[in-house]
Amino acid sequence: MAAKKRSEMAVKHEFKSYRDITPMHVSLGNMLYNKTGAWRFIKPIYEDKAPACQNACPAGNDIEGWIKLLGRQEFEKAYWHLKREEPFPAILGRVCFKFCEGACNRGVFDDGIRIQELERFVGDRFSPATPHPELPAYNGKRLAVVGSGPAGMSAAYFARLLGFAVTIFDRETLPGGILRLGIPGYRLPRQVVAAEFEGLSRMGIDLKLGTEIGKDMALATLTETFDYVFLATGAHRSIPLQLTENLSCCRIISALFLLKQVARGETVSLGKEVVVIGGGNTAIDAARTAVRLGCRATVLYRRSPTEMPAHPDEVREAEEEGVCFRFLAAPEDIALRPDETIEKLVCCEMELGPADDSGRCRPLRKEGATFDIPADTILMAVGEEADMGYLSQFIASTDPILRTHEDLSVPFDTPAAARVFAGGDMTDTPHTVVHAVATGKKAAIAMDCNRRGIAFTDIQDHIRIGNGDALSFSRYMNWAPVNPVPCNDRMVVDSSKIVYDYFIKSPGCNKMVQPADQRRFSFAPYHDTLPEEQALLETRRCLHCGRCTECDNCLIFCPDVSILDQTRETFGYAIDYDYCKGCGICFTECPRHAMTMVSEG
Amino acid sequence: MQKKFEIPRQVLVEQDLMQPGITSCQGCAAPLSMKIALKALGERTVVVFPACCFAVFVGGYPYSSLKVPIIHCPFETSAVVASGAAAALSVRGEKDTVVMVWAGDGGTFDIGMQALSGAAERNENILFVCYDNEAYMNTGIQRSSATPMGAWTTTTPEGCIKEESKKDIEQIMLAHHISYMATASAAYPDDMFKKFQKARGISGMKFIHLLSACPPGWRIDPAHTIKIMRLATQTNVFPIYEVCKRPVSADTEQITEEWQYTINVFPEKNVPVGSYFKSQGRFGLMTDEMIQSTQKRVDRKWQELVEKAG
Amino acid sequence: MKKAIKGNHAVSHGVRLSKVGVISAYPITPQTTIVEALSEMCAGGELDARFIKVESEHSAMAALIGAATAGVRTFTATSGNGLLLMHEVLHWTAGARLPIVMATVNRAVSGVWNIWAEQTDSLAQRDTGWIQIFCESSQELLDGVIMAYKLAEKVMLPVMIAYDAFFLSHTTEIVDIPDQEPVDRFIPPYVPPVSLSFDNPRMFGGFFATDYFYEHRYTLQLAAQEALAYYPEVCREFTRDFGRTYDLIETYRTEDAEIILVTAGAITSVSRIAVDQMQGRGVRVGLMKLRLFRPVPVDCWRKALEKATKVVVIDRNLSVGLGGIFASEIRSVLYGSAHRPPIYSVIAGLGGRDVTPEDVEGILNHVIAQDKPSDAPLFWGLKK
Repeated sequence: MAAKKRSEMAVKHEFKSYRDITPMHVSLGNMLYNKTGAWRFIKPIYEDKAPACQNACPAGNDIEGWIKLLGRQEFEKAYWHLKREEPFPAILGRVCFKFCEGACNRGVFDDGIRIQELERFVGDRFSPATPHPELPAYNGKRLAVVGSGPAGMSAAYFARLLGFAVTIFDRETLPGGILRLGIPGYRLPRQVVAAEFEGLSRMGIDLKLGTEIGKDMALATLTETFDYVFLATGAHRSIPLQLTENLSCCRIISALFLLKQVARGETVSLGKEVVVIGGGNTAIDAARTAVRLGCRATVLYRRSPTEMPAHPDEVREAEEEGVCFRFLAAPEDIALRPDETIEKLVCCEMELGPADDSGRCRPLRKEGATFDIPADTILMAVGEEADMGYLSQFIASTDPILRTHEDLSVPFDTPAAARVFAGGDMTDTPHTVVHAVATGKKAAIAMDCNRRGIAFTDIQDHIRIGNGDALSFSRYMNWAPVNPVPCNDRMVVDSSKIVYDYFIKSPGCNKMVQPADQRRFSFAPYHDTLPEEQALLETRRCLHCGRCTECDNCLIFCPDVSILDQTRETFGYAIDYDYCKGCGICFTECPRHAMTMVSEG
Repeated sequence: MQKKFEIPRQVLVEQDLMQPGITSCQGCAAPLSMKIALKALGERTVVVFPACCFAVFVGGYPYSSLKVPIIHCPFETSAVVASGAAAALSVRGEKDTVVMVWAGDGGTFDIGMQALSGAAERNENILFVCYDNEAYMNTGIQRSSATPMGAWTTTTPEGCIKEESKKDIEQIMLAHHISYMATASAAYPDDMFKKFQKARGISGMKFIHLLSACPPGWRIDPAHTIKIMRLATQTNVFPIYEVCKRPVSADTEQITEEWQYTINVFPEKNVPVGSYFKSQGRFGLMTDEMIQSTQKRVDRKWQELVEKAG
Repeated sequence: MKKAIKGNHAVSHGVRLSKVGVISAYPITPQTTIVEALSEMCAGGELDARFIKVESEHSAMAALIGAATAGVRTFTATSGNGLLLMHEVLHWTAGARLPIVMATVNRAVSGVWNIWAEQTDSLAQRDTGWIQIFCESSQELLDGVIMAYKLAEKVMLPVMIAYDAFFLSHTTEIVDIPDQEPVDRFIPPYVPPVSLSFDNPRMFGGFFATDYFYEHRYTLQLAAQEALAYYPEVCREFTRDFGRTYDLIETYRTEDAEIILVTAGAITSVSRIAVDQMQGRGVRVGLMKLRLFRPVPVDCWRKALEKATKVVVIDRNLSVGLGGIFASEIRSVLYGSAHRPPIYSVIAGLGGRDVTPEDVEGILNHVIAQDKPSDAPLFWGLKK
């Protein structure tokens, strides 16, 4: 139908004489000559947009895209599509902070999509060692990545896809950084991390372990040997507690340190009562680790549950495993016994004051409201910071490094470091795995821009997704989206744009999680990947926000028969602007805001 | 997941018995309803138009935008003109045809009532469709007996907005013991499609009451036609239901209720009527008291409907 | 086959023989016995037609819009108020060029009830575009119906067969009822010029803007002219097939008449007696009976009246504020003629008041005594 313009099928009759009028007054033609499109002053267009989930993902994961492919049971396509923006689905499918799920527009309708479960399903379906289908030839430039954590892995992956020859350096003897040392094995099995490195290795990425930059090798050596350097050495130094007096005791230890000890298989002795101070994921990981080591764990947090930075799912699972939470309480003092063991932790009750710079309510001390908590070990988890010591011999100011996640085009201010970039927890990005992956992607693109001699800032807005910092690697590479239609990645489809009347309520799938009384005794993974049937059912719940699904709504609701089906020939629909009056019903009734009204002329 | 249209895709995509070029206002629900109706009825359909917006915008002589035969007729005669056409088709021995009247609320509730009542009582084998935009829109938004209470029209201007309730055409039609009565709305195209298909298979008088939003007359954004009609159903202002004749068993003395009521669309959440009225400029003069009393009436009528549907 | 039947039943037989497909009617005295007989014919299988028993005359005519558009031969009948109720639809059916045939049993209409004869009801429809034929006898009614279909379907205009309430509708006369076979030959099955078809769907009627409406109206005028030209041919063919003679008008003893009486309908019969009696007394008086009234057979009327020294028109109708409608029409036709005799307009028999041969003689004697007609019509037999 689209092949021949309908206006060419107009049958017009111009009567010159009364003799032309037939005895019975019947129609002799159609109205196709009457191009009602002339009435229009705004017109609908088909334009895909960024779904809220993708907008919320720091890495710009095209979740809707691979869920659509997954729903079609095109598993391998889904896998590689996912890895276009987020290279490590098996890892992030387990440990991601899942900003996407928090933003899922289905959440306000019934129950958000279990994106992480699906990502894990996709990630586990194929070995990362599967030959990469989009691997280019080398571009002649070499990149050194310092640190094999998620930021380093991500930078290496994306840089390799841009043609760089990459070598990753790490001081540890096993790769993975925080993925291996910080995140407990029951959440992220070691072999999953190992498999990703197998995959990176198959892509031709070199790994130099046991090499600490600044100790085993000078940073200057790297800058001389490589064209580009990406620093991603993480944040491993725990911020100390602020107590009334400084204390030193072998049972007051950093939570991250404990996690590393356990990860390395070292023996630890915590006693019976463990108090974890802090409210982030490290605090929760440490508390749950303590439970698995046979301790009773209490998490002390100075604000209320709402302000807690740890993921609510983690908190809930910790509670199920017996971790106690004491909110609105801060440590004041630690009473030591003469043998320097801990007697108790003296705490003060807090109350919430006005919001601070972070937007959270500032905790204020309630005068005189102190209480004691028995403690054998105190784990500090009030935050970690980067150890920049190894840089001081090379770069005077560390400021630019800390800002690189915001603007990687600003190079270090010494000429030798013109091609040195940084990412991950050592920069002032939020300390999550997915943020680290995002900085790796951004750095790789910035390096490529530098290689090509173009300004990253000129490119950045063209490849930005939605209103956040996430960048689209696909767009940088000019890879086609799943829907072969124009996609306006900058426009975000939030829940106000979804027409929920068109959807049927259905609860999300249940996670395959062992009961708490079984899992609390073991460091073994307790959470299984969804079976295929469940995963496919879950894909059907996706609203496909901002992305056409060829649902026919526009076709059926057009009062002017001006939507032409082309689903059988190509994709989606065309609008017959000869007749479209621009009423906007198609736009309003698109369940997912995959259309846009634009003014004419 | 998304609700799937049950209209066969081939019918949806290919069978367009309505062509563009029609001069209906932007966002008019009437051509949309016609498009769906004709998809369900197919090409062996005769459409009878009394005076109404559609009779004008379907195409002026010598043009028609429908690919089915059309008979135009005087304003008040559509039901009987259709009766005559149906009789003639049967005399001609034409099988598997349907004669459909497509009349506005004026041509149904008001001036068309006598002929409609006659045809209904005779249980003529026709399908009478009233696309109800709740006023005389073609002549410029004058009040009809289908205009709801509280509505502004050019003949119920500020100072005398309509205080009387809308005529209950559905009960009037049922009182004629017709073969089939249904309400439908283009906001629920599947339901509409099914009802037209069903009506096509029933002999005798069929009456379908369509709500049909009119952007200029309702003072609404043309883009919101479907949204507002959906709201009419979600607030129970325009319930979507159908009434079939219950087959009466010959061997029973017991006379039971003749009608089988079925509610086809249940509101998904409890939306107060105010949100429907406040979405339209024509109800801008409606007082909160009027909205409250309408809410009560709507609630009571809905309750009655639920009880009838069992 | 000859049979003594009422005028209304003569119409019913005409409809039966014309093999009408759809009948639609609403009862009104004195039309009812037509449709009662048709109902029985349908029920008894003599007539294979669908009879729609509508709820009003307006609907009776409207039903035929649908039926005739769908290409079927149609019939209805009415009287007086019923005809007036149809008025809008009469314009519509003529404008839509639907070859409907209707019997109108002329009944008085006013602000009070009266069920008896008066032609004002039919004459009030003269501008609708319908062909109007006035009949005097039951045979003329039966034959008239059959001829009406031939005429209507040829020129695609509806035809109204008008005749007086009771005087003709309920009076029994001997009527020669033709066999079916010659009637079938005379009017073969109706084939519309444009068929309502699903293979080639058309829109019938609709909105005519200023660019075509004027021409549309002109084509109606042309169709009426065609009807005028074709009607004598219909009459000739009828004579050929059935032996009975009809024409645009009927004249009686006008060859040497100085005074010509003009009548339409049942008054014609009593006028014939009066003419005979007065001719017997040596008064040179003749009679012109109007049959086809719309379209107006201008030349025919002029020719028939070209030797008259006085023309007397008896109207059983009244255009209030003017007078007799036939007189007015005759006057306007003769105005353009070289020979313009004085026209005496007489109103008589309104609302079924009996008009006897003596009344007609009285009228003629009155006219003979006058030098010239007065401007106002003469209301004959008025209780003064």
